[in-house]
Amino acid sequence: MAHWFTYCLEEAAASLWRQRVSVVLAVCTIAAALFVLGGFLLVTVNLDRAVSRWSAAAEFSIYLDDEISQEQRVALNALLREHPAVASREYVSKADAAARFTRDFPDLAAGLADMARNPLPASIEVRLNPARADGAAIEAFARRLAQTPGVADVRFDRQWLERLGRIAAGVRWVGWSLGSVLLLASVLTVATVVRLALHARRDEVDIMQLMGAPIGLLRGPLVTEGVIQGGAGALVALAALYGVFAVVRGRLLAVLGASADAAGIGFLPWSAAALLLLVGMAVGCAGGYLAARQVR
Amino acid sequence: MIETSHLSKMYGRGIYALRDVSLVVEKGEFVFLTGPSGAGKSTLLRLLLRQELATEGTVKVAGRDLAKLTPNQAQSYRRAVGFVFQDFKLIPSKTVLDNVGLVPRVLGATSVQQQRRTFQVLKWLGLQHRMNAYPLELSGGEQQRVAIARALVNEPALILADEPTGNLDPDLSLEIMNLFRDINARGTTVLVATHNRELMRHVGRRAITLDHGHLVETS
Repeated sequence: MAHWFTYCLEEAAASLWRQRVSVVLAVCTIAAALFVLGGFLLVTVNLDRAVSRWSAAAEFSIYLDDEISQEQRVALNALLREHPAVASREYVSKADAAARFTRDFPDLAAGLADMARNPLPASIEVRLNPARADGAAIEAFARRLAQTPGVADVRFDRQWLERLGRIAAGVRWVGWSLGSVLLLASVLTVATVVRLALHARRDEVDIMQLMGAPIGLLRGPLVTEGVIQGGAGALVALAALYGVFAVVRGRLLAVLGASADAAGIGFLPWSAAALLLLVGMAVGCAGGYLAARQVR
Repeated sequence: MIETSHLSKMYGRGIYALRDVSLVVEKGEFVFLTGPSGAGKSTLLRLLLRQELATEGTVKVAGRDLAKLTPNQAQSYRRAVGFVFQDFKLIPSKTVLDNVGLVPRVLGATSVQQQRRTFQVLKWLGLQHRMNAYPLELSGGEQQRVAIARALVNEPALILADEPTGNLDPDLSLEIMNLFRDINARGTTVLVATHNRELMRHVGRRAITLDHGHLVETS
């Protein structure tokens, strides 16, 4: 088996070198298709990361009545303690709320200080466990909390995160659709280039066929050519994608500053980059096989 | 070794290249296949190499019905048969050594085995000093000897040759025919298609004569 593999690699390499100009064009076509696909993947991966990050940070703010009784407070705490989606909770007293307000909005702090009594309510900030925070169940829980005695209001910021998640899914769908069309075009391009290679080596292939070379060995170099072209196209696409990503990220950081959200923008994870490489090789393999089927 | 029974091959609409040909070539025999152009010699060889399938009748080589071979079995069968063409069919981009070593290589011989076997055959044919040359650097006679070396390298039980001296001058033709006689003397069955009656007389072996696709004589 090893000698077949070596033979296929040697023949493919020689053939690719012989028609290097068409090969470069095919590699560029695959790279363009995978660049588009990878670009969409990069956007959706970062949107997913942001949604996940913000989801992890998602919380209820339960504002308490100023006149909440001790029993109501105990009952509310028991309700929160027993719910599986609640990861942690923190009590913020009226004084703590005033201190935060003064810290976050120093220009308005004087106005608050002039008031006869602190108007800010005490609250409980509830951090959710993303793995257990099922959307519908959490909304129902939020409604139930809002009706609990001693609770003035409940603020829950999950809806816009879900909307963002839907946008990410839409972007991903557009990416795969557009990418699929481009990948199909790449398959046909590779098939054409490999068919040209087969045409150039037709006599050699015919002779080998008459000498009894196994069909797999005759087709092997052609499929290998396709796989190499696809792999090379994917590597070019990944390199170009990283270059563009680095430039865009640099500009975003310049605009947004080193905020946590901007700093969280990252390149494709290894698994996604490997997937892109595999897709490229699969595209090349399909194109090569399409051309190699002429040998029978 | 070779047995055809009521073998016919039809091309297009009703044009027979071979019609009702039944013949036997025994193991270890040297047989000429002769007849004028268009007699069906090449068609018969193509059927024997399983490049084509018979329209009617059967072709058996070493007991195997060629029509029943799958594509992969057909390739395996071809590896057991040596074939020599009139136009040599050497790969111009490969050296003599690589052309001859191709078959052992695809059969999985190690590099050392492949080179040893190839060198032995080239030496036997007097080509060892040309093994690094490319086909276009060789004379016609040398090219045909390389083609014969390629056919022999796998030690086939049967050698088929289609007008192997068609492109050679009389002296070289005689030399090549003597080579076939030597190959046959080593036990290999040889079937040579030719219309060169002088060569046939020189070698003096059985001849099967075809004319317009019919078997007309076997002597």
